[in-house]
Amino acid sequence: MRIKSPLYTALVVLTLVVLTIMYVLPIYVVVVTSLKSPAELAARQYLLPSANLQFENYVQAFRLIFPSLLNSTIIAFSVTGLSALFGGLGGYYLSRTRTVFARILFILVGIAIYLPYQAILIPLVQLMARTGLALTHFGLILSYLILNVPLASVLMGTFFLAIPRELEEAAEVDGANRFQIFFRVVSPIALPAYASTAIIIFTQVWNEFLLALTLATPRTQTIQIKLAEIKGSFVAQYHLQMAAALITLLVPLLFFLLLGQYFVRGILAGALKG
Amino acid sequence: MSISSERQEPGIAAPVERRARRRRRARDRLSFGEFLVFLAPLLIFLILLYGMLIWTFYVSVADWRGVAPNYTFAGFKWYDMMFDLARFRQDVVNNLKWLVIGVIPTVVVALFIAYILEIGSIRGVENYVRTLILYPVAMSFIVSGTIWSWMYQPDRGVFNTILRSIGLEQFTGRFITNPDTATYWLITIFIWQYLGFSVIILQSSFRTTELQEMIESAIVDGASRLRILLQIIVPNIRGGILILVSLLLISSLKVFDIVYVVTFGGPGFATDVLAFYMVVATFQQHLVSLGAGIGVIIFLLAFIIVIPYTIYAFRKWFE
Repeated sequence: MRIKSPLYTALVVLTLVVLTIMYVLPIYVVVVTSLKSPAELAARQYLLPSANLQFENYVQAFRLIFPSLLNSTIIAFSVTGLSALFGGLGGYYLSRTRTVFARILFILVGIAIYLPYQAILIPLVQLMARTGLALTHFGLILSYLILNVPLASVLMGTFFLAIPRELEEAAEVDGANRFQIFFRVVSPIALPAYASTAIIIFTQVWNEFLLALTLATPRTQTIQIKLAEIKGSFVAQYHLQMAAALITLLVPLLFFLLLGQYFVRGILAGALKG
Repeated sequence: MSISSERQEPGIAAPVERRARRRRRARDRLSFGEFLVFLAPLLIFLILLYGMLIWTFYVSVADWRGVAPNYTFAGFKWYDMMFDLARFRQDVVNNLKWLVIGVIPTVVVALFIAYILEIGSIRGVENYVRTLILYPVAMSFIVSGTIWSWMYQPDRGVFNTILRSIGLEQFTGRFITNPDTATYWLITIFIWQYLGFSVIILQSSFRTTELQEMIESAIVDGASRLRILLQIIVPNIRGGILILVSLLLISSLKVFDIVYVVTFGGPGFATDVLAFYMVVATFQQHLVSLGAGIGVIIFLLAFIIVIPYTIYAFRKWFE
């Protein structure tokens, strides 16, 4: 459905210009500012790039952020790997079973995916504090697993639904059991699905704030908490704030830029559109 | 699943169907070991999740204030108190603003952009726009909040500085420091961040063969572009719109991070929302039962929003 008419071309161009300003301006200003010295910042020429790029800002911001960057990396990668594994298993069950139990389970999973964290925050903090898990990375990892495995199951299940069953039936005829079918036949075909699910879960965990805020101890502080802290304690030192914000954004942004297709497929699967 | 829908000779149909159903049921049945491996992790996490949800409800009808847990039954005492709080009422009003202004303009603008992309005649535009407006989905609210706080900062922030430098002094604003409008500026961040996401979801629902054919024939018939959008596209992507509206509603209900990092609920509690007050009540004021009550209210709102969506998803999944 392509329409060629000058009026529509003009409309498209106008929309493009507006969108470009809306989405390029903030990130442009952030990048430019993150490379300025405090003196240049005080000159308030926010749109002009710095004459003398201050990469030290990044060194300083990185030094501040490094421990929490490490924590976030450990936590986000662990949760991503385990969610993909458990989500793959659970999602396979949900996509291949039509029993009443599977139907009830689907409803429970569906509600769990969109559960506001506030609804479980108090018990979760109690559990983590009483068991002492709050002091370790495992506490946050477990909390995120509880909240993300249902989502991973639905994402993986959506992808499994699209895989034709003939292959599995053929493997069944050849005498493969269910585990062999899942691990040797279905999972290898579903590798792109695992990639999409992993990217979605990773971004979600990396960017999560509320649980990290209430559960993290100084030893397990995540990168988002650190950034909020930097914003609060380096008031008006916008060059540092912006450098820290960019470092925080870097990992998920790289995933988005390099693996954009998987990202989009994950979003669509999350909207149950396959 | 296709066997039952295939046309069969009347005499043979019944036994074939029965056999197929029996075979399907046999395939659905898992041995205990299989059940354990496939479902144990998901089940354990779900049990923990719903267990904690019930636990929250239990706390909300207890009498827990202060640091040490107190599970003495207090009925709906804390709910009564909550409904009388001026701050709670302010929160409900603000949450309504988030739900309405965070969702309706986003859907309308996203629909417009998605449509423009569909009829756009410039090559390569689609990929460009997708990357351009979708990158904020990789961003946390803390990152975007940090960035936008600086954009909005009244004295030396980006917007006001640029406006002053090009001589538009009269358009400078107090943004997030003005209690009357602060919430709207926070919602703007949300819209900015979710626009690309919304476009993607709507675009994918344009992409059905039936819809494309209907549009083609409408173009041939000489229908205006606006009519195509309003009378053909919108009614035919109701599913996509339902999904998008639900996702946006639930996301805007859950917003906590933006408020925390940009205004911390202020000025006063002008930008406070339920999700934020729940945390303040629980962890700062140590009115844990009150916090749990707010948590229950948030859950109920989320539940109402999610029901139509879940039913829709359920039908699609088990069709």
